[in-house]
Amino acid sequence: MGVAESNEHHGRVAVITGGSGAIGTATIERLRNTGVVVHVLDIQPSKVPGVYFHRVDVRSEPEVDAAFDAIGKSAGRIDYLVCCAGIYRPVPFLDLLLEQWQETLQVNLTGYFLCCRAALRFMRPQKFGRIVLFSSMVARTGGAHVAHYAASKGGILGLARSLAVESAAENIRVNTVSPVITDTPMPRAVLSDEEMESRKARIPLGRIGTVDDMAEACMFLLSDDSSYVLGHDLRVNGGSTLW
Amino acid sequence: MVASDSRVTVVTGGGSGIGRATAIRLARRGDAVCVCDLSEAGLSETAALIQSEGGAVLTGIVDVRDHAQVRAWIAEILARFGRINCLFSNAGVNARSIVADMALAQWSLLIDTHVTGTFNFCQAVLRGMVEQRAGSIVITSSDFAIVGVPNAANYCAAKTALYSLTKSLALEFASYGIRVNAIGPGPIDTPLLRAGRTPEEYSNARAAFETRLPIKRLGRPEEVAAVVDFLLGERASFITGQLLQPNGGQVMW
Repeated sequence: MGVAESNEHHGRVAVITGGSGAIGTATIERLRNTGVVVHVLDIQPSKVPGVYFHRVDVRSEPEVDAAFDAIGKSAGRIDYLVCCAGIYRPVPFLDLLLEQWQETLQVNLTGYFLCCRAALRFMRPQKFGRIVLFSSMVARTGGAHVAHYAASKGGILGLARSLAVESAAENIRVNTVSPVITDTPMPRAVLSDEEMESRKARIPLGRIGTVDDMAEACMFLLSDDSSYVLGHDLRVNGGSTLW
Repeated sequence: MVASDSRVTVVTGGGSGIGRATAIRLARRGDAVCVCDLSEAGLSETAALIQSEGGAVLTGIVDVRDHAQVRAWIAEILARFGRINCLFSNAGVNARSIVADMALAQWSLLIDTHVTGTFNFCQAVLRGMVEQRAGSIVITSSDFAIVGVPNAANYCAAKTALYSLTKSLALEFASYGIRVNAIGPGPIDTPLLRAGRTPEEYSNARAAFETRLPIKRLGRPEEVAAVVDFLLGERASFITGQLLQPNGGQVMW
């Protein structure tokens, strides 16, 4: 645990989208253990005890707005927003249906937009906010069969930088985390064990990322340790992409 | 003597600014901090600040450009502590000029201090880190590794070289469990930001930064120290070859 992480987080209110996924769950545990009041927005209930769960489809403007309004009103404030709701469904480009393209863009990108906008309505007047958006290394590298996913993750970088510029003077910091392949059910659903091994071989530090690696990066960007860092894309990838 | 589980950390350019703030922060977290600088006065002040809090510090007046001096000082540290866990290679200078008027000495001073100085330190500490199969290095690069600015071609070239060096070292030593990252600070309120500027020029430059930067203020050395602390430690154990920019939003890349 970092020197400055001691207890700046205690009593803060966090909203995390996709909080029931693997990276989300690891992040929620870290937040909860530092005394943060955590609200999870997801379509699947969170398995972490002691957090508030809101069943929300992040593509739905009324559902997102209603959830943030309810949280903001009951908690009195929203300090942190972490977005990691996402879908990853590789399809060869010529087989990619418009509906699949739109579904990925809507969940991965429009969902972030809606949640950022809803959170900022509370952060702006309170002159405090920390936002961490999970993008992906694929935003930079692209990849076979993931044009829709890469486009959505690239869009997140542009969204984050623009929001960072627009909000910095109001003491709201916006940053992104770009993981490389992480050992979670999401890649394992589409990759064989051999494929996971071959991905690992391409990572200079010699291992696949863990959910804890990603949660640490997120905690750093939420904390005062990163008080002069904004619009930054923190690449947690074991050295596999150096740009 | 330091506790066997304490890290031994080398900080270059620790006599002022970012280097000093980082040395102080790392000493607070329990590192035995070995600080060098060319300024004896600056070093003494850094050492006094660390000792006043009960921290462990060793100082050395070292010209980072001098390969033999660097080797000798690293040998002294190894003799004293038996290991080096972390290096923060941060020593830097500035000498502004347009390229047309730049003396070779102005060019060489920056390249030798930043680039060769960092090479000297990295090579000296990496031998032991390879044997330990562990270690972490942070190199002070700059936003100017990504974007250029006028009147500072020597500084921009040096800082870009440092970013390249970072990436090469990261790949070369990843299999030994050694991580190498760079920081790209934006405008930080340090003596270096004032160097070569009259008080009026400094005040104008500061006002320009405050207007232009999204965050509307200069950074503090302590804010950079927090980022170095993060990258050096276990929280960043899966991060290598990266440029982390505490820059108030100056360059988003």
